[in-house]
Amino acid sequence: MVAVRDNYQLHMSLHFADYLIIAVYFLFVIGVGFIIKKKIRSSNDFLTSSRNIPLWITSLAFISANLGAQEVLGMVASGAKYGIMTVHFYWVGAIFAMVFLGVFMMPFYYGSRARSVPEYLSLRFDEKTRGLNAISFAVMTVFSSGISLYALAKLLEVILKWDFDISIWIAAGIVMIYTFLGGLTSAVYNEVLQFFLIVLGLSPLVIVSLHDSGGWSNMKNLLSPEMTHAWKYMGHTDTNPMGLHFMSLIFGLGFVMSFGYWCTDFLVVQRAMMAKNMKAAQETPIIAAIPKMLMPLIVVLPGLIAVTLMQPALASKGYSIPTDANGGTDFTMTLPSLIAHYYPTGLLGVGITALIASFMSGMAGNVTAFNSVFTFDIYQAYFVKKKSDNHYLFVGKSITVVGILLSIATAYVAKSFNNINDFLQLVFSFVNGPLFATFLLGMFWKRTTGHGAFWGLLAGTIAAALTHGLTVAEGKGGWIYNVYEVSSGMGQAFIVAGISWIVNFFTTIIVSLATKPKDPEELRGLVYSLTEKPEGQQKWNRQVIGLGLLLIVITIILNIIFF
Amino acid sequence: MYNKLSNLGFVIGIFFIIVSLILLIGGLLSESLSYPLNFYTGFAFLVFGVVMAVFSARKKES
Repeated sequence: MVAVRDNYQLHMSLHFADYLIIAVYFLFVIGVGFIIKKKIRSSNDFLTSSRNIPLWITSLAFISANLGAQEVLGMVASGAKYGIMTVHFYWVGAIFAMVFLGVFMMPFYYGSRARSVPEYLSLRFDEKTRGLNAISFAVMTVFSSGISLYALAKLLEVILKWDFDISIWIAAGIVMIYTFLGGLTSAVYNEVLQFFLIVLGLSPLVIVSLHDSGGWSNMKNLLSPEMTHAWKYMGHTDTNPMGLHFMSLIFGLGFVMSFGYWCTDFLVVQRAMMAKNMKAAQETPIIAAIPKMLMPLIVVLPGLIAVTLMQPALASKGYSIPTDANGGTDFTMTLPSLIAHYYPTGLLGVGITALIASFMSGMAGNVTAFNSVFTFDIYQAYFVKKKSDNHYLFVGKSITVVGILLSIATAYVAKSFNNINDFLQLVFSFVNGPLFATFLLGMFWKRTTGHGAFWGLLAGTIAAALTHGLTVAEGKGGWIYNVYEVSSGMGQAFIVAGISWIVNFFTTIIVSLATKPKDPEELRGLVYSLTEKPEGQQKWNRQVIGLGLLLIVITIILNIIFF
Repeated sequence: MYNKLSNLGFVIGIFFIIVSLILLIGGLLSESLSYPLNFYTGFAFLVFGVVMAVFSARKKES
């Protein structure tokens, strides 16, 4: 979670051309909504895009759903604070999981004809597992959307002195218009536009600031070695800025958190489920892994450049990261301060629009995932089962408006109680941490039962909360008793996720062995060992595996180069 | 025209062409926009926008 605080050193003045670019962007995103509106005829068109989206769009939407403001501002800030170790979130914490999703998990998500991840859980396990996942996911997405909205309004208030309330209502209003009109397709089309805007809008910043800092070789000369080596100083928690041991990183981030997010979070998986056919669905996360692999150039490198520019040898450049009210470095403001330092009028409008786009992209992604899960997995599953399609289309549209209004309410709660952001992020990690164990066992062990999955998930979530309550890091946690001190908050998050995963894994196995499994006939198409691959599928499956392996080899080479 | 507008590649191309024109023409007309960085970026956006729009429109027609 990026924490935007008041900062009186950073202020930008926009001119007519900057406002014009922002206005053009708003017109286009709303225009996309009106264009897509004509294609919306059923609830599936609105909530799932009727599985009719081309591969290049699903792939870019797949990473754009994750390219919200938390990612853009947060990763630049992390690059400035922790150095090149931030690339672990990409080269350890994303690519492997994305390839795994494409090769092994998409055949079940897509092949089962489920419309959502919770619906897959109902087919594979039972209704109570679906309900637990659907309700926790719906609550998380609507709060995430609200926090994203709050952060946008706060950022615009801090750097542009825009009114907080007006920013909230305009941003939420625009997202509401295009998601209400065009549903998921409209949100996804805008995510792709936002992807290009963020990448192309921030590229000039990387080029000019990198040139100013003297290039990578000069950065290595000026910065301390632990800032420019990704792995070399991870042998001990005291020797690297993140305070992490490499084993904790590999298991906590590289396995539990990464696979838990990329392989089970409906927000991203939904983008692959919109593909036209199984081949495209499998290729979506794998093609998306290519730009994801290169994303550190746009969101990590600027952070490293910013700290380089602050070294005494480059004092003549006149750049510094702003400080907060306590005099500490305000890393969250690294990207806005670089934009303010390098971008002239005109390009400044592009940079600000890119920032706004990243917030709106995150919000729209959450709202469209929320309305699908609410309509299909809560409303239709538990309340009103057999109504006409028009009824569910109406509910989907109505719940889009409700989702936006709840987001606005959350944004105002976050404004009044700033600590609620940390609290919500914490609760999210308790729920997400153990989730991958449920899917892994469900897809690859036919003996897993609905009772096993449900109690495993519950036990994992409780274990996550207890672990947090018994450990302390950077003054946080230990609300039950301080049993163990962790050197960094990130290390604590990895430990919490790791323990919750292990508890879920073993609880699911034990309860499954003690309860009656489903008839294997019911599990065809849902479990690996019970699913036959058609003749044609085997050929392109080899292509998908080949591409996935190639990306893994390139990722390993990148890790070695920046070791 | 509706077919072209519902083609995402075409829409993205047009968006970047408009932004590039604001940067390029604005830079020629107004001193406040006359910076080399605006010109270079505007030109890059123009090339990207034209390629995206033309390529997408042709692909759709074929």
